[in-house]
Amino acid sequence: MPVTDNAMGSSLGPEMSASGPAMERRIADLTVLYEVSRALQGTLDEDRAFYIILTGITHGRGLGFNRAFVLLPDSSGEFLVGRQAIGPSSPDEAAAIWRELRDKRLSFGEILAQDPPPERKDFRVNSIVSRIRVPLSEDTHPLIRLMQRRETCLVSQGIVQPEGWALEPALTDLLETETFAAASLFQSGRSLGLLLADNAITRAPIGIESLRMLQIYAQVASASLQNMQLYGELMSRIAVFENANRALRDSHERLLHAERLSTIGKMAALLAHEIRTPLVSIGGFARRLARKTPPEDSRREEIEIIVSEVTRLERLIEEVLGYTRLSRPDFAPVDMNELIRSVLSTMRDSIDKGSVRAIADLGPGLPDVRADKSQLRQVLINLIANALDAMPSGGVLTIRTRRDGDYLELGILDTGVGIEREDWGKLFTPFYTTKPAGTGLGLAVVSQVIDNHKGSLRLESVPGQGSTFFIRLALDPDRGNLQPESPEVVHM
Amino acid sequence: MKTILVVDDDKNLRRLYREEFEAEGYRVVLASDGSQALEMMRNENPDLVIMDIRMPEIDGLEAMVRILKDRGRLPIILNTAYSSYHDNFLTWAAEGYLIKSSNLDPLKQKVREVLSA
Repeated sequence: MPVTDNAMGSSLGPEMSASGPAMERRIADLTVLYEVSRALQGTLDEDRAFYIILTGITHGRGLGFNRAFVLLPDSSGEFLVGRQAIGPSSPDEAAAIWRELRDKRLSFGEILAQDPPPERKDFRVNSIVSRIRVPLSEDTHPLIRLMQRRETCLVSQGIVQPEGWALEPALTDLLETETFAAASLFQSGRSLGLLLADNAITRAPIGIESLRMLQIYAQVASASLQNMQLYGELMSRIAVFENANRALRDSHERLLHAERLSTIGKMAALLAHEIRTPLVSIGGFARRLARKTPPEDSRREEIEIIVSEVTRLERLIEEVLGYTRLSRPDFAPVDMNELIRSVLSTMRDSIDKGSVRAIADLGPGLPDVRADKSQLRQVLINLIANALDAMPSGGVLTIRTRRDGDYLELGILDTGVGIEREDWGKLFTPFYTTKPAGTGLGLAVVSQVIDNHKGSLRLESVPGQGSTFFIRLALDPDRGNLQPESPEVVHM
Repeated sequence: MKTILVVDDDKNLRRLYREEFEAEGYRVVLASDGSQALEMMRNENPDLVIMDIRMPEIDGLEAMVRILKDRGRLPIILNTAYSSYHDNFLTWAAEGYLIKSSNLDPLKQKVREVLSA
């Protein structure tokens, strides 16, 4: 589609009055612009828009160039990079593409409305475009200069017309042509990118009419590109607001939940305190009665039941209050092995009563761990009590400590009934229990304490074979950067 | 015979403590609130006070502070259903801070310790 200079006026307008081939030419050009801008209006996807723009430039019923490239600033805003290209590598390939398009008998509008074909890595233009990468700050680079020139110009035999400065061979080698048209993409005084178009395959000259058409075409493309960018910015801002809104809603819900829990906690604490005083009376007098009742008296056993049940209730209250007042731990060096031995000795009665064999497999020479001793004591008591409950007909309880670099690992293993998989997730929830007489606070306290210590808690359990709770504590929890795991409870 | 003043607003607990500590060989006098405790201080001259904290009008902590102002070195054992008062620095002035329990052994132990010192 070679175009001669004499057919081209200073603008499109006056030529509308021309007759004959010039008139047809104008109408054809306007049709191209109309079809392309209509296709562009139908998309907000940049890649699709570039496909439309490049197809418009290269199609025989469009601008009729052989190849076209679009260059844009990358997402960092630091480089001008090749974004997309269309065009054959050889006359044969060109003939094949055109034949295929002709056989499909699609109108120009229909072709523009097609989905872009998948990018062919073996197409030369794709390999060329992917190698274009120029720092935007390098304003002496010809591509940057061409982009900032803000008008369409012809590069002929490596010389930019009409100024006459030369392109270095490296660029023309890369583009595999010394002659091409360059149209700056810009809108509202802002450079958006650069369009390159050439006839590298047919070697047809690029006429001034083609150049002018490309210039108008570039303006249509710029407007559409800016629309898409503004739309993209708008969408990302909307997304920011939506995220902020969602976060606000989430934190509101968490707040409500925390408030509910805190109310439950306060209620529980209030009730526990109120119940404690009458329990002291009941239990205290029962103890007096028991002491005054000789062992052979049948009432003695009944009184003992009152005493032990009151003791159980008092322990339960201690647990509830203990959970509601768990706060920031009071850190001091703790000898974990010694703490374990002390807890095992205070729980000796319950261990023996349950026909459980307790094994303290304590790593020798463990360093002290910085921790809240009374909170850790509670953790051990709760986990051991759980292990004992899990072995109603006896078994083996193993408490194991090991050092692992900057961490201390504690394992509490039982050979009990195990924990069903579906119960694992709920285990650490306050007030959840599988035991008829449990408060559902034992493991919640454990989880809360380990959380307070920025440690992690892991459960392994095989129903029918036993459970193991693993606790991992940093030797010095204040050196938080050594803590690779999140303080969350890990459920395995 | 040493005299113990037990201050508690719960009638049953007062009776329990009186019986238990009398059995331990102490003379036990009772007050049902802070102001009554202050009155008893003048007449009974106790050697030790077992003081509940949560009581109507003058609570145990205030009563303790007033008693200590008068009788500087009198041992006072706070005996309460609440562990939360532990954070209140006033409780540090007491000789002991025990959580009420139906098992009175720890309280008796504490009283023995304090009075034999």
